[in-house]
Amino acid sequence: MTYLEKQSNPLDPVHFRGNLQADYLYTSGAAGDKFFKHIMENDSFLASECEECGTVFCPPRLYCEDCFVEIPDEKWKEVPAKGTVRLFTTAMLNTFGEPLEVPKIIGLIDIEGTDSSMLGILKTKDQKQDLTGITVEAVFRPTQEREGTLKDILYFNESG
Amino acid sequence: MNRKVCIVGVGHTNFNSMTPDVSWKEFMYDACKKAYFDAGINPRKDVDSFITCAEDYWEGFGIFDEFVPDQIGATLRPCCTVCGDGIQGMANAYMQIMTGLMDTVAVEAHSKVSDLLTYGDVVLHAMDPLFEKPVSGPVERERYAGSPSYPDNNPKPLVGSTDEKERVHPYFLAGLEMQHYLRSAKVTEEQCASVAVKNKKNAFLNPYAINQADLSSEDVMSSEYLFNPLKRLDISPLVDGAICFVLAEESVAKKLGIEPIYLNGFGYSSETPWLSTRGMDAGYARQAVNMATKMAKLKDPKKALDVVEVDDRFSYKELQHIEALGLAGPGEAAQLLEEGELYKDGSLPTNLSGGSMGVGNCLEATGLQRSLEIITQLRGLAGKRQVTDAETGLAQSWRGIPSGTGAVAIFSRNPEVKT
Repeated sequence: MTYLEKQSNPLDPVHFRGNLQADYLYTSGAAGDKFFKHIMENDSFLASECEECGTVFCPPRLYCEDCFVEIPDEKWKEVPAKGTVRLFTTAMLNTFGEPLEVPKIIGLIDIEGTDSSMLGILKTKDQKQDLTGITVEAVFRPTQEREGTLKDILYFNESG
Repeated sequence: MNRKVCIVGVGHTNFNSMTPDVSWKEFMYDACKKAYFDAGINPRKDVDSFITCAEDYWEGFGIFDEFVPDQIGATLRPCCTVCGDGIQGMANAYMQIMTGLMDTVAVEAHSKVSDLLTYGDVVLHAMDPLFEKPVSGPVERERYAGSPSYPDNNPKPLVGSTDEKERVHPYFLAGLEMQHYLRSAKVTEEQCASVAVKNKKNAFLNPYAINQADLSSEDVMSSEYLFNPLKRLDISPLVDGAICFVLAEESVAKKLGIEPIYLNGFGYSSETPWLSTRGMDAGYARQAVNMATKMAKLKDPKKALDVVEVDDRFSYKELQHIEALGLAGPGEAAQLLEEGELYKDGSLPTNLSGGSMGVGNCLEATGLQRSLEIITQLRGLAGKRQVTDAETGLAQSWRGIPSGTGAVAIFSRNPEVKT
């Protein structure tokens, strides 16, 4: 028994490899649906504004998380698909913990005209050390190739 | 009703980078057996209710609760799983005891993370699948063996490449948050590196901490940037480990003839999961400590606490958490560290167990690992790392990337915290 006589031969323990079959459909939801259908046809974002506290959400939401009130249709608005880089990092590892062939620069971008930020891959004009505060613009896939997911945004490119 | 809840037994396995000799069930059994032995009880008749802390994806199978009862002595007994950190499980045990329905409750939490071959992807799976996860890169596989949803003739169009080796590890979020912390607290990377140095050194004095190392902050600084400014040695290693606590009403402790350690207060809180609007200053810890100190009637925690354990899964997190807990002003935790206050003989001994840096990141068992150190200290059994006359201690946990959930527990040797 394991607990009275511990295994001491490292070749002894048996294991087998398994995986989970776990596939899902992720529904975009009422708010997400509008957002994703919008970016299929437009190079801009939709945002929604809470009537009570004035917080502008992008991606838009059906309700305000602070006030817990619904956001009506008339408080939705179009905002440009651009913003300012607040934070950034250069990711060197993939999910297996191995080096990425091409390191990715990921930024947290404050979206213009909103109180929200989005994660995005950053592309800059030149090799900069500090990307904080640069303005970036979303680069979308060609319209006919869009599928209505976040992947329609290829990356955020430095403006100007 | 003047019920009080105390810890009457603790047990834990060895902590190790892998544990191929035992199954996860035997691993849990080992920890629980020791806790029941420590309390001097038989779980089959003396424990009224059982709680485990687990998450299906960590474990590798569905409906974890159903797989629990046998290895912890809970078959055909009240048993449930808290999908959260061990301190959250302990909070539930406290509440069960306070109702008067239960007198003795066992709480177990564990990590058998070495069984998990795709840790990075499981963590990534905790990010919003629509708005956040896709940033990491290709998430669909062109063809996933046996999957009806990915037929050969309909490979999903992906950004860039279909190569799953291009998915970015979700720890990039810690890189972003660390950058925020460095700026807002005006702290340097070197100061964060000192946390890793301290805790890995502390581990030398903790017999169950396996990640001890005698490093200099230059060693940490010269380890490679993985998610700039986060470096390899700023990241705590993963470990396996299982921990079980037996909580009981004060009268049970007296009957057992055990000198109890009281759970005087606890708190837990979750931030919005949306990275889009979430704060980056560990607001969960601030909320949790407010709840816990109020409950424990602890007016001046800084003065009353003899020993503290905070989550340090990434080196900067220790400093950020100390500040969020109100134990240092904004940006002042690094100064406390430099002045020696966070060491054993300082005014705020922090992570003497070695923390996640020195013991290892044991997932949902992290909160209990921290609490274990506090209890060991309050029992006076911490050996060379013992804080003299430790009477009151605080343990804090965070559920790790990408969660915004944290918990706090306050323990003392006295039914009412001495202030």
